[in-house]
Parts: sequence; structure tokens; C-alpha cells
Amino acid sequence: MESNDVEEEEFEFSRNYFLAKELGTSSKKSACKLSDINIVDEQELRDAYANLGPKHEKEINDLMNSYKKSYSEWVFILRCGFGLLMYGFGSKKFLIEDFASSALTDYSVVVINGYLQQIHLKQVVITLAELLWDQLKMHGKTTWENVPKNQPFNTKSMDDLIAFLDGPHLEDKECFVCVVVHNIDGPSLRDSDTQQYLARIAACSHIRVVASIDHVNAPLLWDKKMVHTQFNWYWLHVPTFAPYNIEGTFFPLILAHSGSAQTVKTASIVLQSLTPNAQSVFKVVAEHQLAHPNEEGMPLNNLYTFCRERFLVSSQITLNAHLTEFKDHELVKTRRNPDGQDCIYIPLTSEALEKLVQEIIH
Amino acid sequence: MAQAARSVTSPPTAAAENNLQPFFVLHKAAPPRKPTGKTRRRIDLSPQKADSTVQVLDDNFRFESFNLLWCKIDCTMRNVLREINACVFEEIDRWVRESFEAIRACGVPNLARATRPHPIFNRAETAASRQLFTAILLTKNVEFVDDVLTFVDLGVHLRSSGCHVAQLTSLDFSAKNGVGGCLKTLLRQFLTVGIDAPDISILASWYTEQGNYESPLVVIIDDVQRCCGSVLSDFIIMLREWVIKIPIILIVGVATLDALRNTLASNALQCLFPRGFTLGTPAERMDAIVEAVLLKHYHGFSIGKQVTTFLRNFFLRHDGTLTSFIRALKIVMVQHLLVEPVSFALVGLINEEDTKSFGGENTLLRETMVKRCLDLPSFQRSSRSNRNGDIWDCGLSELKRFRKLWVCMAMCLYEVGKNYKITLLDLYCEMLEPQLLNSGTPCHFELEKDDHSLFGGLQKGGFVNQIIQIVRGLPAVELCELLKSWETLTRSITKINEKVKELQSLTTFDENRPRRDLTETSKRHTAKSNVNGKRDGSTINEKVATFVDCTIRRYMQPIESIPFNEIVFFDNVDKLRTALIGDPRRRIQADLLESHKFLKCSCCSKNGSMPSPSMHDTSILYTLTQEHGDLINLHDWFQSFKSIISHPGSKAKQRLRLSPSPKKRKGSIEPRNRSDASIQAEFCRAITELQIIGLIRMPSKRRPDYLQRVAFGL
Repeated sequence: MESNDVEEEEFEFSRNYFLAKELGTSSKKSACKLSDINIVDEQELRDAYANLGPKHEKEINDLMNSYKKSYSEWVFILRCGFGLLMYGFGSKKFLIEDFASSALTDYSVVVINGYLQQIHLKQVVITLAELLWDQLKMHGKTTWENVPKNQPFNTKSMDDLIAFLDGPHLEDKECFVCVVVHNIDGPSLRDSDTQQYLARIAACSHIRVVASIDHVNAPLLWDKKMVHTQFNWYWLHVPTFAPYNIEGTFFPLILAHSGSAQTVKTASIVLQSLTPNAQSVFKVVAEHQLAHPNEEGMPLNNLYTFCRERFLVSSQITLNAHLTEFKDHELVKTRRNPDGQDCIYIPLTSEALEKLVQEIIH
Repeated sequence: MAQAARSVTSPPTAAAENNLQPFFVLHKAAPPRKPTGKTRRRIDLSPQKADSTVQVLDDNFRFESFNLLWCKIDCTMRNVLREINACVFEEIDRWVRESFEAIRACGVPNLARATRPHPIFNRAETAASRQLFTAILLTKNVEFVDDVLTFVDLGVHLRSSGCHVAQLTSLDFSAKNGVGGCLKTLLRQFLTVGIDAPDISILASWYTEQGNYESPLVVIIDDVQRCCGSVLSDFIIMLREWVIKIPIILIVGVATLDALRNTLASNALQCLFPRGFTLGTPAERMDAIVEAVLLKHYHGFSIGKQVTTFLRNFFLRHDGTLTSFIRALKIVMVQHLLVEPVSFALVGLINEEDTKSFGGENTLLRETMVKRCLDLPSFQRSSRSNRNGDIWDCGLSELKRFRKLWVCMAMCLYEVGKNYKITLLDLYCEMLEPQLLNSGTPCHFELEKDDHSLFGGLQKGGFVNQIIQIVRGLPAVELCELLKSWETLTRSITKINEKVKELQSLTTFDENRPRRDLTETSKRHTAKSNVNGKRDGSTINEKVATFVDCTIRRYMQPIESIPFNEIVFFDNVDKLRTALIGDPRRRIQADLLESHKFLKCSCCSKNGSMPSPSMHDTSILYTLTQEHGDLINLHDWFQSFKSIISHPGSKAKQRLRLSPSPKKRKGSIEPRNRSDASIQAEFCRAITELQIIGLIRMPSKRRPDYLQRVAFGL
């Protein structure tokens, strides 16, 4: 009888799907174009977007505050060895950080912003190891066998670092560093290698993880070994309905024209995550463009000689590596000038570019 | 609260900077304080009076209780699993020794030869020099996660018997790192130092230099199916070439032989000199765990029928792993300690010799506990009038006595069912049924439609009834055996034990009589005596069946009816399920479609299913998608969103809502434009949010005016 139910449910599901498909094809004919909407000027749209007030501000705050009474419960769950996985609609960034700074004061807390485009996990692990080292020192434990003190953490391999985090340094199970991962399903953490590393970190005896997911299919990132033995998730449904202000920064506005979707803000964030040399290369292009606003851009050869003179790149290959990175993030584009040379230019207005250059300098 | 309000909308500048850092340190650990109790109490911010009791019962004490209880359970489970594998491990150990001898028989290279950086090819080609001794450990399991621990245990076992062991996982055999990657891990584990330029000759010289010639090198690869086939094949071929210098013996875990054949290249397969070993099935392990944790060793807490049925169905239909079952038990433990303030008494319960041990010297704690226990509904129902202390001690010992009886009966029933393919988990679920046998109808498990069949029923027919039927039809010899094992099982409970002995005496008499008959009477009477024997036998069977029936009725009461059951009893299946499974796909959609339930506002719930303008923008937009097909026309969608947002009836409210924003006030000079821009901005934001949660796919180049729906129905 119950197997019938399962079938029924599956049937219902597929019927929904095909009904939707059918609806899709029938309405296709009477389709209107996006351009029919009287879209306001992009800058105006962006201003309005930046100033959007939240709806139900009071209720959202009440909802957030209602979770406060669970904080002690969450700490207990963490202490028992589980990882907390928060999901539900709305940005959980504030909630988790509030929880961490009010209830996890006994432990060091590291926050990873998974919604950003680039995260070097190794750096995070080095920081974790340093924090754990400090914490162990505080507990009066200064000597142990398998950690050669003279070697600084940043020269160690990932395996060594993870072994250190997993080491049985203290009998007391209470000594751990807490890792908060906003959007563990975020764009920079989504690949399987990173998830495997995160899982290995989470499985360490001196680490506890508090993470949030937003994507409905996020659990597909993990296999059973990761879920059950490494992350050891304890699911918490905490819808907050708070706007995804920060998480949404990197998504283009659907009504803004995609060509000029790049804003100073997103560009500067991407640039800040690059190496100083890469930033300088970008600056060279930007300064050239500002000095010659009417040209097609900076010819590739000129760029190379210029950068080489300033010791920014050592070979064409390194320059190309930088340029590929820029192109991937749509920071620069190429076009030909009348002489047939490939020119690099930045698809931003002069004002925006000036602002951007200012931002990188600081 | 004010801070919360500010931060939700506009984060302060310091935080804003952190928001764009890939990672940052939020704060460092506060220096450890000596009276840790205080620290914990500070965490409890809730001002409610109800929670003050929780404050009194220190969080630390709760944690200690958890540690104590869980350590016991964990220990029991590990022992059980180790026992199940013990035989196979022994066998493997013996085989490793034999293989090592066989390799050594091919000759031990002298030091000078052994340290040369190339393999030795033996001219006298024996099996040992041509092939790599390989134990194929068949896990017969789809999910590998259950066997992780098994392989770790195997490693420990082999190490303890003097082998050098390295354990590799499928992650070490990735196409990205190639053979170098796995060799690196191998060297790291054997040499216990990291080596940047891995080479197998390093291992060879290490092996000779260390003078480790007496012990074999065992390499365990736990999940072959998920390894990159070509890398693993290369690795095996390489090891084969070095087998004389480095007597490596391989142990690979694989679900079936076919899987191994599919993974490895044929030339690598030829290198193997295989020997198969088989591990126990998940169902066997499950029964052993259930028997040990929930029945034999009393761990102080019991789970109710709903939770057990949920766990059973989750195991059989959804997850299929023992690991998740164990994890679920741990979650149950955590939740029980969190939800039920009197659950701390569990610690006292499992410490047999010391019923007052909970709280230790903390008399205040004990008093609060007793006081709270007196308020328990189960106690109030039973309405006894004793002095407090007595009630407490009596209550606890009564609970224990009840539990002992129940477990004893359960074990007796399982003893029968074991040989008839009735799994303990199924039986256990049924035995928790409050109206076991009373209703006369076979137990049924309620079906709840929205439960994804996790509560779906067991097969009809009732295992307990089935067992009674089995007893009725049992041949005399088996019945005798059964009673013998019952006698041992019930030894601790005199009442039942005596009855079993009585029955036993009847059968021994019955068993002996036909034999006596045969010897003493002539063959002519044989037929008659057989008939007699049969009749007597059936009456004995009937008696045993009646005995079973009666004892079940009498002793297997549902635990819910016992006073103080709240201390040990947990049956909150919803809480368990949300913590264990999560189900974000469904929940997040439900959040959007029923936003007013969470926000508890007065404005949104009036319209029923129709979206109202005051609703959360993303909620409105997602509600609207329900009317579309799999493709959503962006223009139409925007128009309906706009018409809802600027609904005439709610315009006043709308303006009121928007007015606090300075931007809106400024723009009020040209209302038409402002509202267009803000509506479009709201629309954009809602779409971005839907994109973040993954419920829509953005327009492609081919279809620039359409978005795609991803989810259909909850």
C-alpha cells in the first residue's frame, strides 16, 4: 500500500514537470520581449537598487531575535562534535556572526566568506593552525611531539597542517577553533577539491564548523562519507528573510544591460583579490586609457615592454597569465586598432575608471 | 536588538570591510576561566522564566552527561563491529604472513643490490615474483561510508601484529596528481616525513636501512571503485616490479569483483595474485548494533516507536548506511538532553551501584531534579503518595526493573525470529507498539502522506504474531533448544526463568518418553505412540506459545505508561528528522511560499494564496512562478509583479513603508519615475535572490527573454 504512495508521489512530481513543460510551449507563441519593458536608466536603477529598503523590517528583526534563545542549544550541539549547517531563505550572515560573537567567545572564530569569487584555503588553514597554537599555549600546553616548533606554519604542506589540527594535543575535547563558512556552497568553494579539503578540515578534532547554504541543491556537493563522518552536519532550518545584500553583489542585475554590468565595486573587489603585480599591470592599462581616452586601448606589445621595464612581469607568459585572469573576470577586453594591433581596454567609463584606480591605490 | 536592526539593513563600516575579505578572524578565544560553569551560563541570554531552570542545570553538566553516555554507546558499538570483523581480520592476518613467507622464499636481496634504484627481476619466475599478493575485501555494500571504520580497524589490527601499514583512500588516486600523488602519501605514511620528490626507490632503501626485513609492508586501499583506474593500474604495475625488494602486500576494498574488473586495466589485473575475503552485510551489522545498543547493554535511554520506525525506514529506503543510523542515535541523545531537563538523571540510572550519583555532591541540583520529576505528567498520572526521596529512588529502580523485563522478553522473541529471517530492527519497531497483541489485529504503521514514506509500514502480519505461530509449529528438538537458550537469557529474572524451567522440564519429559516408548514397547505400538507423541508435542508447543503470549501481555508494557519515563524516553521524530536530513530543496521553497508563517505579520496572510503587495518581494515573485511553465517570460513576469506591487488598494500602505528611506523622500517630487525605478530594482533584487537560492536559471543567449524554472512542486 505504501509503495503505491511512493509511486503516486513520483507520478505527481513528473506530472507537475510535464504540465509545466506544456504550459511553457503553449505560452511561447504569445511571448513579449524584455525590451518592451520601459527600463529606466541603468544608473538610476542601480541607485534605486542600492537604496532599497527591506520589507517587514520589524518582523525580520523579531525573527532574528527569536533565534537568540537557541544559541545555547547550538553551542551545546557544537561541543558534542557536530557541525552546524544553517539553511532557509534569507541571508544568514548576520545571524551566524552574531551567534559566533555572542555565544562562542570561549573559542577563536575564523569567518570564511564563501560568496566571494576567490578564496585560498591554504591561507585559511595556516590561520587556523596559528590560532590553535595560541589557544593551546593558553591552556598551558607548550610541548608536544609531532610539531617541530621552529618551522613556521606557512611553510608547511596542507597535509601537515591538517594533521596538526587533527592532533590529539589535549585530552580536553573542549579546545577547538570554530570556522564559520558563509555560503559553503558559494562560487569559490563549489569545486569538489575544495569541498574535500573543507571536509577534511571539518573532521579535525580541534575544529568545529558552522556553515550556511543558500542553494536548494547544495547537498549534492557532498557524498555520504563527507556528510556523515567528516562534516557531521546537524541541520538547522533558520529562515531569516534578510536581504542578500552582500551575497548578491556579484550577480548582474537582470534589467541592467549585461555589457556594462561591471561596476567599479565588483571590479575593485576582484582586483583586490589579485596579486600586487597583477594590480599594477591593470593600473598600467587603466592609466594609459585615462591618458588616451580616444584610442582603442593599449597595444599588447606596448603593454609588455612597459610592464617589463617596471619589473611587473618577467616574460610574455606571465603577462598573458595576468591578462587571462582579467579577461575571465571581464575586467579587460581586446579589440583591434586601425594599425591592426591587438589592444587591451577596460570596459568602463573614464569617471568609473578614475574611481577604480583610486580604490586600488588605497 | 537595535544593533540587529541596523546590521540587517546596513552593516557598519568595519564589518563591511570584513565582508569583502576572503576570510578573517572574528575574535580570538577568551583566556580559559577556571569556574567554567559561569561561562556557560552567560551564554544563555533568554530572559524567560522557563529557561531559568535550564540555567540552573548547568550546561556543563549536560555536556558531561552527554560525554559519559555517548562514550559508553560508542565504545559498545565499536566493540560489536570489531567482533563482527574479528574472524575476517584474523584470516587476513594469517594470509599476510603466508604471502610474506612466499615472497621471502624468492630470496632476500643483499644490501648492495637492494639499495640500487631499480627493481630486481627474478629469473626464476615464481608466482611471488611475478605477481602482487592482493587481498580483495568484498564489502558487498553500495555505500562505502560504513566500511571506513572497518578499514581503519584492519589497519590497527595488522599494525598490532607487526606489519607496516599504509592506508590510502580513493582521493590519493586522482588523475590530477597521478602516480606521484599516491606515492607521496605512501611514503609519508611509511617514512612519517613529507617528501617532495616521491620515488619508490626511497621506500626500498628505507626498508633495507631500517632493517625491517622481518615485517611485511601492507598497503590498504579502501575504496577502489572511486579511484582513477589508470592511476591505480600504474601504481599496481609499479609495485609489482619492486615486489622482491619491497615485499608489499595489497589489500583492496571493493563492493563486487565486477567493480574491480571495471576499474583496473587488464594488464594491472594480471599483476594481481588475488585472494577474496568477505565482510558482513549491512543488515547483519545493523542487527548486531541494535542488539548491543538498544537491548543488551543498557545505555539509559530508549527511543519510541515513531523514532525507531523512522530510523528503520531511513536505513532501509533512503540512506542504507549504518553510519547514518549511529549518527541519528547521537542526535537523539543530544536532543533528549536538550529537550528534557530531567534527562540528566540518566547518568544516575546507568551507574548501577550508585543511584544517587547524578549531580554528585551537588545537592541543590539533586533537589531541583527531584522537584521537577514530581511534576512530570507520567508521575502525576500514577498518583502515588510517598516521601520525595523514596519516590525518586523507587521510580528509578522501577524504571530499571521494567526495562530489564522488556529487554529480556525482546531477546527471547528475537531468539525465535533470528532463524526465520526476521530482523531485529523490524521486530524492535513492532515491540514498541503500545497495543502490542491487545488489539488482536496485526500491528500497522500509520501512513502519513507528506512523510516521504519514511513512516510507511512494515509488512502486514505482525512479527510478534508470526513468532508465536513459529513457536506453535516448532519441532520438539528445536523447541528444546529454544527453551534452553531462553533459560540462559532469562536467568536474571527469576519469575520468568522459573516458568521457562517448568516448560523445559515438560519437554525433556516429552522428549525422553517416545524414546522410552520405542525401547520398552513392541513395534506394534509405534504408530499409536507416535500419534500420542504428536499430540503431546503440540500441546507443549501450545503451552510455550501461551506462555509467550501471556508474558508479552504482562511484561511488555509500553514505556510511556511507566512513571518517570520522561527521563529515558525520546520520541520526537520531527525534531530528529529536521536535524538529520534537512531537506533544503523543499524547505526553502516552503519558506518562500508561506513567508507570512515565519514573519508572523498581520498584513500578508489575509489574501490566502494570492500574493499581496506587502509580501516579501522574492516571495511574491516565487508565488508568481507557480503559474508559469518551465519557461518564464521575463516581460510577463515583470508586469504581473508590477501590478501586484502597485496594487491600488495598498498604495497608501506602500508609501508609508517606503517613506523612511531618504532616497524615496527625495524622489517624491517626480513620483512616476521613482516608483518605476524602485519597482524595477525590487524586481532585480528578487531575481538575484532566486538565483542565489537556485530556484531559477538565468536567460541564455539563445533565449534572452526567458528564465527557466528549476523546481516543480514541493
